[in-house]
Amino acid sequence: MNDKPAPLTDFDLLAYADGQLDAARHSEVERLLAENPVQAETVGEWRQQDEALAALFGPASEEVVPGRLQPRNIVRAGAAARNRVLQFAAAATVLVGVGIGAGWMARGLTEPSGRSGVTLVSEAVTAHSIYSVEVVHPVEVRADQEAHLATWLSRRLDRPLTIPDLRAKDFDLVGGRLLPAETGPAAQFMYEDKAGHRVTLYVVPRSGNSETALLYSQLDRLEAFYWTDKGISCAIVGDLPRDRLKALAVASYDQLG
Amino acid sequence: MTAFLDEIEALVPSLRRYARALTNNTDLADDLVQDCLERAIRKRGLWRPQMPLRAWLFRILLNIYRNDLRRQRRRPEGTPFELLAVQPAAQPDQPHRLDLAETARALAQLPNDQREALLLVALEGLGYAEAATALDIPQGTLMSRLGRARAELRRLTGRSQPPRLRTVK
Repeated sequence: MNDKPAPLTDFDLLAYADGQLDAARHSEVERLLAENPVQAETVGEWRQQDEALAALFGPASEEVVPGRLQPRNIVRAGAAARNRVLQFAAAATVLVGVGIGAGWMARGLTEPSGRSGVTLVSEAVTAHSIYSVEVVHPVEVRADQEAHLATWLSRRLDRPLTIPDLRAKDFDLVGGRLLPAETGPAAQFMYEDKAGHRVTLYVVPRSGNSETALLYSQLDRLEAFYWTDKGISCAIVGDLPRDRLKALAVASYDQLG
Repeated sequence: MTAFLDEIEALVPSLRRYARALTNNTDLADDLVQDCLERAIRKRGLWRPQMPLRAWLFRILLNIYRNDLRRQRRRPEGTPFELLAVQPAAQPDQPHRLDLAETARALAQLPNDQREALLLVALEGLGYAEAATALDIPQGTLMSRLGRARAELRRLTGRSQPPRLRTVK
């Protein structure tokens, strides 16, 4: 069909259309195309594709760049995040110290082979730190499906769980989620007051019928009350005045089971 | 660091345009660009000057995009409303131009490897060497993908059959 000395291959056409040929080959291809309307038509269609793509998406590159996509803001945000991690690590050391102290003081009340209060509280505090700041997906199941949430988590924790109602203490249920704890599944319920303060109640199943008193740990601005009762260990975590958090802990303790 | 950030900043509009075309979704595209910039800044020690910064950034963005696709996020879904609204009033004056909404739909139907390659070259104007670097494939593979992408786009927009003869200018 085309017995010219330098026939046009598909790669020639592509490279020509995309401006990837050297000047000599470019003008050679141009000359050959003039004699080959079918291939010229193909190249013309490709040009139209380029134009259509530019028309569709070109405006995206002319929009004002939002702050979150400005490299300097990202550098600043990264530095702030690293500082938070360092602060958290420092504070966690304090927590472990307090937790061990509390555990030692409460050793008469805890079962000897059970999970330690340190693990319980550190898991609860970590889960609280991660999810209580979440705006879009703070919970897996929202409070409008409370019955489903209770059934689901009761099944996963293999315990009948009653989700505490803390409205008398001005906290509404946001919802809950299933989490991996050191020993298996854990449940987290989140509550929020009108001012946007969030507290989370962290629940892990526990074998045996041991009970503990209400114990207390503090981590920087986060406080935790924790206890074991009727086959579950619980920790309630939040950034609240101690008395207020304690009232929530007592209300939860009373209703769980 | 300052020069590095300046160079990245200059490339953000291009990354946004590419991400928009890949995902067909403004918010997902900007999330993708943000993830890309965060990773690039965190891993800036891994960048080697012999690789163009633009190709390196596109490579990072594509890796994140593919990982997200595997997790079923950011998948292009048809033609979103915002693209349909882009139809310019000037179109009737240019009967040979491709219908934009039709092109957007066709683009979304391309296999992912073809769409990634076509957009780098046709939309972002990367040369073959740079695009092949960004995609981490040999140049011959890139050209095969480009050829298939262009043919498929032509087929999907109903332009391949029958070939109409007309002058191209």
